[in-house]
Amino acid sequence: MTAVTVRATATAPHSRGPRGLVWVMLRVHRSALLFWLMLVGLTAGALLWVYGPGADAAWAEYRDMGCGSGRPNLGCDFTGPAMGRYDDVLGVSGAVMYWVPLLTAAWAGGALIGRDMENGTARLAWVQSVSPARWLAAKLAVPAALLTAGMLTLTLLHRLAWTSDGKLHLTIGWRVWHDDTIFLANGSAATAYALLGLAVGALTGLLLPRALPALAVASLALVTLQNRIGELRPHLWPPDLVTATDDYPETAGLIVEGGALTRNGAHVPIPDCMGMPGCLTERDITGFYAYYHPAAHFWRLQLMETGIALALTAAAVLAASRLLKHRTGAAI
Amino acid sequence: MTDIAIGAAGLSKAFGAWKRTMRARGHVDMRLRRGARPATTAPQRTTGLSQLDFRLPVGRICALVGPNGAGKSTLLALAAGLLRPSEGTVSVLGTTPAAARERLAYVAQDKPLHPHLTVAATLRLGRELNPRRWDHAVAERIVAEGELDPDAKIRTLSGGQRTRVALALALGKRPELLLLDEPMADLDPLARHQLTGTLMADAAEHGTTVVMSSHVVAELEGSCDHLLLLGAGRIRLAGPLEDLLAAHRLVTGRAKDSLAPHTVVESRTTGRQLTALIRPEGPTTPGWQATEPTLEELVLAHLRAPDAPALTLDDAQEAAV
Repeated sequence: MTAVTVRATATAPHSRGPRGLVWVMLRVHRSALLFWLMLVGLTAGALLWVYGPGADAAWAEYRDMGCGSGRPNLGCDFTGPAMGRYDDVLGVSGAVMYWVPLLTAAWAGGALIGRDMENGTARLAWVQSVSPARWLAAKLAVPAALLTAGMLTLTLLHRLAWTSDGKLHLTIGWRVWHDDTIFLANGSAATAYALLGLAVGALTGLLLPRALPALAVASLALVTLQNRIGELRPHLWPPDLVTATDDYPETAGLIVEGGALTRNGAHVPIPDCMGMPGCLTERDITGFYAYYHPAAHFWRLQLMETGIALALTAAAVLAASRLLKHRTGAAI
Repeated sequence: MTDIAIGAAGLSKAFGAWKRTMRARGHVDMRLRRGARPATTAPQRTTGLSQLDFRLPVGRICALVGPNGAGKSTLLALAAGLLRPSEGTVSVLGTTPAAARERLAYVAQDKPLHPHLTVAATLRLGRELNPRRWDHAVAERIVAEGELDPDAKIRTLSGGQRTRVALALALGKRPELLLLDEPMADLDPLARHQLTGTLMADAAEHGTTVVMSSHVVAELEGSCDHLLLLGAGRIRLAGPLEDLLAAHRLVTGRAKDSLAPHTVVESRTTGRQLTALIRPEGPTTPGWQATEPTLEELVLAHLRAPDAPALTLDDAQEAAV
């Protein structure tokens, strides 16, 4: 045994770089790795452009149009080409981040696990000196590290671009902080959803050990989960209440629910009183109310949503490892 | 117990058993039931095993024989720790298959390899995943003997060349137990001869125990000294090949002769002549022609007569007597 070890070491000098399962992961999934690096690089570049030259050009154009001087100017409701480019690039970058979890789920179900199970290469790994549990751990840990690093980088850059030009968004932008893509790209939730996609894909790949069905089911499952949690978003933190007497209250935020108030304080739907004087009084309406989330709730909502996504991720990882253990009995 | 390479006690594998367990625990659903199928691309349905009891001593070259669907692949996957038995136990090299993982090698029937890796990268994979045992020189020699280009992608290789790479990966691990599922099925006669030679020389040099499954008996004749014949998930014959052959006689006599008290495996009457494979229980009738059967005759007779009683000869027991 000693002799074998010595000879093996002598004939195969250890090179620098990753070893063992990590090397295998990076080598076997090299094209996915290169794609991810390219996607992160391009998106990061786009966000830096938005932050720097894109925003500068949009401001310059805005001033050239004679806007931003405080005087009313109807022309300022339209955007010029520079502003359009700024908005497009910001929107596309956010959309890339929004769709990364779906791409991850499809890849994890199809290529990472499903294909390995389908063509028997998972078994090839398990009959080397690698237990199925360690195989699954590497399959999850290496992509999780790369996803987290990439997504957090993009999130920071998106926040940089978003917060530095807040005035630009207020003046001409159509995007608000609680838009789906903006909300996710500005916080930790996008990273959490990417990890959820990885876990859901891995579990699906083990349950349906075939690449294409696993790809399809994992994608569908991730989209469903992400949408369901997205629908819950306004209810993840108690909203603020605002009321107004003569008109619907001004709210700058995510509206959860709104309506009219009667004299005894009951919440009723706003009656259709368009152009009918005295109609509101007839119906005993004394004011209006709205439950909404101000921008200050951003991190509370963000962290709640992140927590839910990470809890589901943990559950899927646990289910996947228990399923694998049960099938191979490797832990006995 | 460490002199036993594979020991099975009441070993059973029923596919779908997991489904029943899960239902008993009250949390079965369709997805889990579908997931209970073993993950293979084997074209035929994988067969279960029932109540296998046998012991294979170390150092043997064991032929695992049986018709398609007899459970050969299932038995090898259980020994390799890729499947969990439904009932009973299988021990490998004196411990569980999982604990023996480092010391055994397994080549699956369809020779799974990553198609987009090169031959050299595939061998590097073996080195990376077996850091304490890997012998790169052995693996490289086996690949070089097949005149394979180390930079060729696996997907460009022929079936036989893939088999060679899969065997290089298995032997590079310096296993104490080598499990091969239909290893030579897609090799041409020359490559088969060459690879069998490499395999046997390597096994002899290192005292490796080899279990090789096949449904082509001729493929195994001459290289094996132990036989395990499976039929419909059960053991039909198990033991040292010489002892098993010696325990049988191929007899020719007259059709009206009685075969009692011998155990009859198979008998055929052609005109007035009777040919039978028997397990003699005492001296054979004078005037009969009796010869020791060949491996092929022994196996075919048992396959044609599925109701013949099973026979297990345990040489460990005999040595103790």
